[in-house]
Amino acid sequence: MSARELAEKFLGHVEAGEVDEILGLTTPDATVSLVPLNRHGPMAADGASYLRELARAVPDLLVRVRRLFVTADNTAVAEITIDGTQADDFLAVANQEKHFDLDQAWMLKVTPDDRISAVIAYWDQNQLYRRLGVKRLDQITITAW
Amino acid sequence: MTTVALRDGTGTTPREESAETTVRAFFAAYRAHDVERMVDLCAEDAGFRYVPFEVWSRQRVLHGEGKVCTVGKVIWTTLIDAFPDLTNAVTSLRADGDGNVAAEAGIGGTQAKDFGIIACAGGRYELPHLFLFHVSGAGLIDDIVAYWDNVAWKKQLGCLEVD
Repeated sequence: MSARELAEKFLGHVEAGEVDEILGLTTPDATVSLVPLNRHGPMAADGASYLRELARAVPDLLVRVRRLFVTADNTAVAEITIDGTQADDFLAVANQEKHFDLDQAWMLKVTPDDRISAVIAYWDQNQLYRRLGVKRLDQITITAW
Repeated sequence: MTTVALRDGTGTTPREESAETTVRAFFAAYRAHDVERMVDLCAEDAGFRYVPFEVWSRQRVLHGEGKVCTVGKVIWTTLIDAFPDLTNAVTSLRADGDGNVAAEAGIGGTQAKDFGIIACAGGRYELPHLFLFHVSGAGLIDDIVAYWDNVAWKKQLGCLEVD
């Protein structure tokens, strides 16, 4: 499987909320950096925790790949847009059933034997808060209609 | 899941090296606050998109999106004016054979003027960024996209408003 195919498979599992399948694509010691959440650690712990929370809170999640390329070191770089409707508290934001979309960039480093060994994700958490009705960064749990 | 507008490439090529050289020159010009040089490294109609850059008003939302020669140049100039010691450090750089380059860079500076809704309190910030470039066969940047987290930026500068 090429790095491109692996990335498409990874993102398809994100859309479907299939976290175990995502972990099945990674090496046992794969790392994750969710930059805006300042979460850096094992994919099996930090990555899985975030993806499970996303799947639970946004059950109608859609992932649209806007750009995908593979660099010479076999890293797949994807610009995606996620969108869906909040159905439960998410990253400490109370649920108001708001629909949101959010542009993100993901980098997946792929080993020669076609496993993902590192995941790095960037997005603007301020955009997510704005779309979910958060007004102040020191009061994330307080939202407004 | 839908997939659109894909570019792909693998293997080390002169195009890859040329693209990396252009991007390194871009960040060097940024460190030197040489906005004209930054623009000169871009094609005349180069696209520009700073994804987190959104200004919400009652009537509409303004996005940091357009052309390097207009929107990009204004944002860079305004940033350097507000953060006179603005600097950057490239932490990773990877390219493909089709001119795509992904660069992670730490950008930081000390605030000397208000910037958007961030009132100046003299604070300093350091923030990881991801830049995605496309460099043409002629060695000019023809597209720039950047991602960062405004929550971390604003918190470091003492601004706690989402909008």
